[in-house]
Amino acid sequence: MLFHTWPFAIFLLLVLPVFFALRKTRLWVPWLLIASYVFYGWWNPYYLILIIYSTALDYGVVAFMDHCPRVGAPGGMKRSFRAKLRALFGPADNIDSDLPAPSRRVLKIGVCVFGLAAVASFVSAFAGPATLRPLLVGFGAVLGLMAFGALSASRLTWLVVSLFNNLALLAFFKYAGFFAENLNTILAWCHFGFRFTDPASLMPFGSAYLLPVGISFYTFQSMSYTIDFYRGNIHRERSFFRFATFVSFFPQLVAGPIERSSNLLPQFNQFPKVRLQDVTDGLSLFLVGLFKKLALANYLSFYVERIYENPSAFDASALILGTFCFAWQIFFDFSGYTDMARGVARLFGFHLMLNFNNPYLATGLGDFWTRWHISLSTWFRDYVYIPLGGSRAGTIRTYRNLVLTLLVSAVWHGAAWTFVIWGVLHALGVIVTRELERSAWYRESVPKFVKQMGVFIFVCFAWIFFRAESLSDATLIVSRIASAGWTDPQCPVLLLMLVGSVWVYQFLYDSEWRTLLQVGWVRVGLASSMILYLLLFSSGGGAFIYFQF
Amino acid sequence: MKDSKSLPGLDAPFVNEMRLTLRQWFAVGGILTIVVLCTPLLWKRLEKFETDANYRIPYGLSKDYWLYQRWLNRTARSDGIFVVGDSVVWGEYVRPDGTLPSFLSRESAANTRFINAGVNGLFPLALEGLVRDYGGAIRNRKVILHCNLLWMSSPKVDLQTPKEEKFNHPRLVPQFQPWIPCYKADIADRLGILVERNLPFLTWVNHLQNAYFNQKNILDWTLADDGQDPPGYPNVYQNPLAQINFEVPSAPDSDPERGVSSSRHKPWSKSGQGSARFDWVPLETSLQWGAFQRLTKILASRGNDLLVVVGPFNEHMLSEENRLKFRQVLNSATDWFSAHRIKFVQPETLPSDLYADASHPLTDGYLALARELLNSEEVQNWMRPHGSP
Repeated sequence: MLFHTWPFAIFLLLVLPVFFALRKTRLWVPWLLIASYVFYGWWNPYYLILIIYSTALDYGVVAFMDHCPRVGAPGGMKRSFRAKLRALFGPADNIDSDLPAPSRRVLKIGVCVFGLAAVASFVSAFAGPATLRPLLVGFGAVLGLMAFGALSASRLTWLVVSLFNNLALLAFFKYAGFFAENLNTILAWCHFGFRFTDPASLMPFGSAYLLPVGISFYTFQSMSYTIDFYRGNIHRERSFFRFATFVSFFPQLVAGPIERSSNLLPQFNQFPKVRLQDVTDGLSLFLVGLFKKLALANYLSFYVERIYENPSAFDASALILGTFCFAWQIFFDFSGYTDMARGVARLFGFHLMLNFNNPYLATGLGDFWTRWHISLSTWFRDYVYIPLGGSRAGTIRTYRNLVLTLLVSAVWHGAAWTFVIWGVLHALGVIVTRELERSAWYRESVPKFVKQMGVFIFVCFAWIFFRAESLSDATLIVSRIASAGWTDPQCPVLLLMLVGSVWVYQFLYDSEWRTLLQVGWVRVGLASSMILYLLLFSSGGGAFIYFQF
Repeated sequence: MKDSKSLPGLDAPFVNEMRLTLRQWFAVGGILTIVVLCTPLLWKRLEKFETDANYRIPYGLSKDYWLYQRWLNRTARSDGIFVVGDSVVWGEYVRPDGTLPSFLSRESAANTRFINAGVNGLFPLALEGLVRDYGGAIRNRKVILHCNLLWMSSPKVDLQTPKEEKFNHPRLVPQFQPWIPCYKADIADRLGILVERNLPFLTWVNHLQNAYFNQKNILDWTLADDGQDPPGYPNVYQNPLAQINFEVPSAPDSDPERGVSSSRHKPWSKSGQGSARFDWVPLETSLQWGAFQRLTKILASRGNDLLVVVGPFNEHMLSEENRLKFRQVLNSATDWFSAHRIKFVQPETLPSDLYADASHPLTDGYLALARELLNSEEVQNWMRPHGSP
């Protein structure tokens, strides 16, 4: 269900009044959960199996983690396998048993249930139908790991269970094809007979091997909960409904923002206070998002597709303009979605984090990443960059950490060499602009506008690799930009005028002229024009680019 | 515990100034209400729309339902008789002065004007939608409704097949009830169509697209190619607003596709005998017939005095055995009209050389049909004003 379609309008008109009608009961959270599952299942009901599984597993992982001693606590020390068994199954006054009785009981049950389930899973895998074998082996591995987590009463093991499970899901659905293809190429080159199986053949009962919409978003959101709990940053959420609603909250489920448990989860503790300003702000955010998507992103997409589908047919001017248009298309498309998501959430009284902050006004690549897909870049900052050492261990290590983080972030977008190169380019850009910022001349003498243009041009260049259908297409585009002639790019003037107007608006917003945009009739005029434009011009349709990630 | 406010973005909900207050939203609502309500009305005064006695909605504007509505509203001021139907009424192979309504007007002794309210590409399921949603002006009038049994000649044309079929006027057919198996639009599109039907402003937007932008969305029009290889893009530097010349396009003066001089305007067969075997759909299960039945009820409920003209279908092209099946369908239809006290007339099949295909007469065929209708006692009785002998 897409925000800009009529089914969503009807969905919202049904969900919102019932939500408010249930405000004095405890049913508003389950209602939001049902609504979220309906919203998600609208694409494909089978996707629900995956999200419910992922949610239940992470909920369970944290529940078991909560029964394990913290790192550094008496029960958290390293022990032999036999000592662990004695601690759990021995008498309560056993010297090795330093866990509270309820925790021992829970973990004991965990060892038995998960252990037996793991054995049953492995046995079924080899005795049962072949089509279920890969699935059951995977289950068996997760269950075995869970049994070990219960046995060792180790928070770290439970964290590994969560990470393993979430990353395995991502790896299978998103990266397995890429790795199998590349590894098979290498194996063939080395004249080895072995080949990796096509991941599509591992699907049970011949089901379609499709990337579930939004899997990268909700798995990351769910993982942030387990990691934060492991680190002791948040309390355990005892209500499964609340936790499941946090993972699947429909406004941000399929394309973010990737919310942190510390921000969104507490908002489900009590019915939100919805003020009039929440409603007007929600509508304002939704209108801006809708305009970005329908009036701008969809329009730009036609020109971009024409150029990028057959880059060899175009010369430098069209390729440059096509890339410029893609830069704005992806911004309008993605930020439009998150604006709408935040607007819808605000109508319910929930506050989602800002995800885009006028990124094309950034004065450095580092600055760009604090403005572009903020929820993802802060996720990687907190869970990858800082654990790697961040900027605390010297320049070289800092840059190594930056490069690794940006590479992981790039690969998050998809399994292709073009994404890897896009990540490398951004990493280099961050390092270069960071070094430049250290020089007083650059900091003080280079005008802000020049820096902004420099960053924008660099980001556009990197987008070539992000958008191109293949690495060979990307290199072709770069080489043609450098060598092909300049002829009429045949790009609609109306399109360029629209993009130009938005850019000017952003520069005005960032300048001392901002007060001009705050005048009431300017806002009213702009909002009216946007709605009329949508009624007159937009052609509707079109999924969001970031759904594929 | 980490303070949630340490996350970016929570204190900066907006990164633009498009944050409207309630009062500002009311102002926006007021402006939009005025624009949405007044623009289509004002447009009727601004836009030149020239019609003559033989006017019919031009082929290129067949999907311009706002124009159809405007055309009916204009003619409703006169006291003519509406002739409603598909391309048989509209005149697929003939010029505007060679259609059935045109000949009826000319041949009528009482100088009655017959208004061509047919649209090209219609079929009963779409015709029902057209009359229900855009034909409100057909009220308390005499109406001739043409019944074309061709639409029941196979499950495919009856739109019953499960395989997806593309057909004309999808915006007019029922979107949910009755369910059309071969119509596979997704729910978002279906709901969008329902909204458009109920918002005249959106129908007017559609008129702009049809009349000035080559039936394209305005943005798509700026990107449209010229069909050449390699393609050119003639509209990229055009100002879309300059296309609007406030004049409804009329039918071309010389239409190579229609009229006696057109290569298409010729009898369906040289021999005059065919052996076609249509897979006639029983009327009880026919979607198109169901729509036609509902259409007669809609027209009757609006106080119209209805006369159904059944056919005449080109029976020459049917095999002997298939003609019997056709007759059964025809009898079922006329039985239903009789049972529901709907006046109908069933003209004789025209000579073979007056048909262009299974259901469309040629110019002389329309003339012959008009004469036969005007001479028939049923039609004369029906045309007589109430109370006159």
